[in-house]
Amino acid sequence: MTMAEMAKALKDKALAALNGVADAFSLDGFFSSYLAKKGEINALMSKMREIPNEEKAEFGAAVNEARNEVSKAFEEKKRALEEAALAEKLKHEAIDITLPGVSYTQGRTNPFHAIIDEVTDIFLSMGFEVCEGREIETDRFNFELLNVPQDHPSRDMQDTFYFPDGRLLRTQTSGEQAHRMIEGGKGPIRMISPGKVYRHDDDDATHSHQFGQIEGLVVDKNISIANLKATLELFAKKMFGEKREIRMRSSYFPFTEPSVEVDVSCFKCGGSGCSTCKGTGWIEILGAGMVNPHVLEMCGYDPEVYSGFAFGIGIERVAMLRYGIDDIRRFYQNDVRFLKDF
Amino acid sequence: MKVPYSYLAKHVDLTGLTPEMVADKLTFSGAEVEGISRLASGTGLVIGHILSCVPHPDSDHLHVLRVDEGAKLGVHQIVCGASNAREGLKVIVATPGAKLPQIEIKPSIIRGVSSDGMCCSLLELGVDRKYLSEYQASGIEELPEDAPVGEANVLGYLGLDEVVLDVSVLPNRPDLYALENVAKEVACIFDRAYTPETYPSYKERPSTFKVSSDTPDCPLFCGKVYRGVKTKPSPQWVSRLLSSCGIRSINNIVDIGNLVMLLTGQPLNMYDLDKLSGNCLKATSSYQGSFLAMDGSAYELQEGDLLIVDGEKPACLAGIMTSDACRVDENSKNIVVEAAYFKGAPIRHTSNRLGLSSDSSLRFCKGINPDQSAHVFELVSYLLKELAEVEEIETTVAYDTFAHQIKTIDVSLSYINGRLGTSFTQKEVVDALTRAFFKVRENGDLLHVEVPAFRIDVDGKADLTEEVIRILGYEHVPSVLMDGRVEPQGLKPEQAKLRLIRDYLKGKGVSEALTYTLVPEKWTKQFAYLEKQAGPQLLNPITVERSFVRTNLLPSLLDVVAYNANHQEKDLAFFEASAVELPNGSQGQRLALVLAGNREGQGAYLARPYNFYDGKGLVEGIMERLEISPNRYKLLPWSLGGEEFHPYQAAEIRIGNQLVGVLGALHPLLCKELGIKNGVAFELDLKALFDLRSSPKKASIPPRFPSVKRDFAFILPSEVTFGELSREVGRAHPLIKAVHVFDVYVGEHLPEGKKSMAISITLLSEDHTLKEEEILAATEKVLNAVKAKFGAEVRG
Repeated sequence: MTMAEMAKALKDKALAALNGVADAFSLDGFFSSYLAKKGEINALMSKMREIPNEEKAEFGAAVNEARNEVSKAFEEKKRALEEAALAEKLKHEAIDITLPGVSYTQGRTNPFHAIIDEVTDIFLSMGFEVCEGREIETDRFNFELLNVPQDHPSRDMQDTFYFPDGRLLRTQTSGEQAHRMIEGGKGPIRMISPGKVYRHDDDDATHSHQFGQIEGLVVDKNISIANLKATLELFAKKMFGEKREIRMRSSYFPFTEPSVEVDVSCFKCGGSGCSTCKGTGWIEILGAGMVNPHVLEMCGYDPEVYSGFAFGIGIERVAMLRYGIDDIRRFYQNDVRFLKDF
Repeated sequence: MKVPYSYLAKHVDLTGLTPEMVADKLTFSGAEVEGISRLASGTGLVIGHILSCVPHPDSDHLHVLRVDEGAKLGVHQIVCGASNAREGLKVIVATPGAKLPQIEIKPSIIRGVSSDGMCCSLLELGVDRKYLSEYQASGIEELPEDAPVGEANVLGYLGLDEVVLDVSVLPNRPDLYALENVAKEVACIFDRAYTPETYPSYKERPSTFKVSSDTPDCPLFCGKVYRGVKTKPSPQWVSRLLSSCGIRSINNIVDIGNLVMLLTGQPLNMYDLDKLSGNCLKATSSYQGSFLAMDGSAYELQEGDLLIVDGEKPACLAGIMTSDACRVDENSKNIVVEAAYFKGAPIRHTSNRLGLSSDSSLRFCKGINPDQSAHVFELVSYLLKELAEVEEIETTVAYDTFAHQIKTIDVSLSYINGRLGTSFTQKEVVDALTRAFFKVRENGDLLHVEVPAFRIDVDGKADLTEEVIRILGYEHVPSVLMDGRVEPQGLKPEQAKLRLIRDYLKGKGVSEALTYTLVPEKWTKQFAYLEKQAGPQLLNPITVERSFVRTNLLPSLLDVVAYNANHQEKDLAFFEASAVELPNGSQGQRLALVLAGNREGQGAYLARPYNFYDGKGLVEGIMERLEISPNRYKLLPWSLGGEEFHPYQAAEIRIGNQLVGVLGALHPLLCKELGIKNGVAFELDLKALFDLRSSPKKASIPPRFPSVKRDFAFILPSEVTFGELSREVGRAHPLIKAVHVFDVYVGEHLPEGKKSMAISITLLSEDHTLKEEEILAATEKVLNAVKAKFGAEVRG
């Protein structure tokens, strides 16, 4: 056997041995036996000194070819074994994907606040400012400046909580109109005032001694009912949907003249009649009107120069209609089983 | 106000209108009709006569009838199950196609026999069972023998065709408490003629009766003496009209009083002339003492109560109730009828104080027409003549200091159109006002408008504007956007900050609650740290549970926790942000938050109990959102006492010396009371935080040179806090830029009174890469400092 043939034989032997390797440990053994410094391939190469010069080139080429092929096969084997090992490891890491996820859910919003935020954003976009008033109020701001003097019949409509010093818990956010006109600048006004109000009512499904209102006020030159209509139409469309229409019915509030109740076409049935709108196609959502000239006058605005409109929205009422809430007390119970939907 | 439709139909031409149409239009023009009630209803009805009645061949209880339904409809066969069906009976037949409240009638075949309609009971026409006898309710209605066969207006024949509109009268239209004015209103809004009733005039004898008043609360007092009246039951038309209006018929005299009030809105009072001491009546508001009313009760009167006295004694609590001594009874022969004008305020005060109210007091409180005494007495005389055979009528006597003035208002067309945004013509406006019984004189663009006496609410230009638009209809108002002369405002800074924090907390999984401002006294003493004092107490609370204005939010929020825990929901995260009214007169803004039970919802998987640090982390997050840097506030060990927080797991949050928040794990006893295992809560004075200026924002440029971390584990006395250790380590060497804790251990393998704390320090130089010897020097300093300060041992 020539030296070159020996190199070929060693290569075949090594490849055969590699074929039998099935794990990382045997692979390390294989490397030591053949490819390491003191392995058989290097040992064969060291025989170079012993062979005739004319055979050296052929022999060298043969050993190198053996080394290259064995190295390449070794690398392939190594990669295959690693892949198999990783696959095995991953298999053991299998999880139960039906276990619950780590909770990153959003906290819930009481629908009361949800409505305030939504209405506020709509009127902010129309250039209104937000004025939040005081809940303990004087008779003057809660009643007198709103054209409800002592012994006015309309005081019968609102039972009031009083304090010993004559102050009261506000019965309406409308007092904020007077505050804004008297305490703010004397120029044009566009404002809303969301907040809590209080009435001397027993709590039941439809009454609450505490509830929310959003008052609105616009004062400027040449303001008319037509402006009120356009503003509320815009509001209704943004709040209840593009297709909503509004209509006005004559009504009475002491601080507006004329006064109207405003209905919006039913956002549940679109106006064809359903249980939400009691078959009428319309839902009463707010009261409004032109600011009574007496109110403007008492608050320092000349009614011959300025006119304005005001409106008031019941927060829980809107929420109850929109979300189908059956009982106003739910807003104040904060039952998590109820809040989870908001 | 209950309004019988038949009354309206008598005075206004309602041709072509239905009660629903009238109700609808009233509602749109300012008198909301809250309901329409009918005594009975049904279409396709006719009065029939049973010609023959034989048993059904295939049933033991059905009858086969041949019923004559008059010349127009002829004779039909009807199968009927009523036991009282018999030959010769006059009955109500619902013909095929008839609609009854519950069913629609169709021709049918019942057990092989064809049936062309149904004989009805009044129940089937919708009459309430309480108005029917047992016998009526158990079978078909038996009509009188003379009932007109073939009559199609069966409900009319039965007197069951009344439709009652329930009108909600708003405070600006007290005139609508009079049926006459409701009829005028209907005539006005439909633009139809109004036909007033006319009454004959009678011969009157001069009167010697005297009426007077010593109080401005009664500026007008009219009286009229009627002699020789006969008390008896009222005729059917009176009792039907009264009962349609919700008033029970008593006798003709009492009924006349009520009827006149219903028609004209003027409350009347009647006295038995022979029971009066003295031939006079006087209104006074200075009587004090006891008053025995006709209901048998005695009432203590005080100065200001408006009273009618005769020569000696109280005769009537004005507008509210007659005295027992002077009232008209079945033996009364001669009577005095009072028609006065009492001001609303005193009547309201007396009525509220004594808890007595009546249809009369209601009308005085809302305001009555002071200009219709003549009309009222015309009506009284007519009715007493017709119903009580009065023998002698005396002339009306009056005390009258009322300024009877016709109100006039000048208004221009442009004012009206300007306020409405409409373009009505002058003719349209004048027509509308005229329809509403205003008298209008035109002077160019200017309208000179005379207000009818019954419209006591109208006193200015704005009121006329309302009249015009409610009559012509709001559908004429165009929709015109305002021009944009007002600058967009946006949220004010504190409003924006509040929104930011609410959104932040919701993003962290905390839900927003809404609670009551009014709380029981007990709650005012709990968590009373940010504000120690209770808010004011109500003068007139509904219940003691809601009698104080809260000044701190946490008690309310914990009640939410208790409510949910009681409903088996024990893993909770709630916050509430709310204004509070403080005893010093200022308004505070607060945020309260509570975490209870486990941090991961229901069930144990991945769950861990909330602890102090969950609360602290949210406080830190809020401060970060408000751009208040950590070095501007501090958490100090709890020193405020109280029993709400765990005494060793609570902190005062202070800025300078000011307490801006309280934070702590809830006391185990409180948790037990609330029905939860554990909880942590805090309340922040948002107002104080909002008032702070934001810490200036500055970009952090990432360092050019690498930082180095080194870890240490110290064994320290238990009482040493991380804050103290961190401060000591931080100032041990200038290269130390940050100190973090990554493990705290107390327990096994450590001596009593010791704990282990593992920290990581970050070393960094701004101008070079750190050398090993610099790092060593710094760590040496750290070790020495901690050993020296705390007597610490270094672990491992």
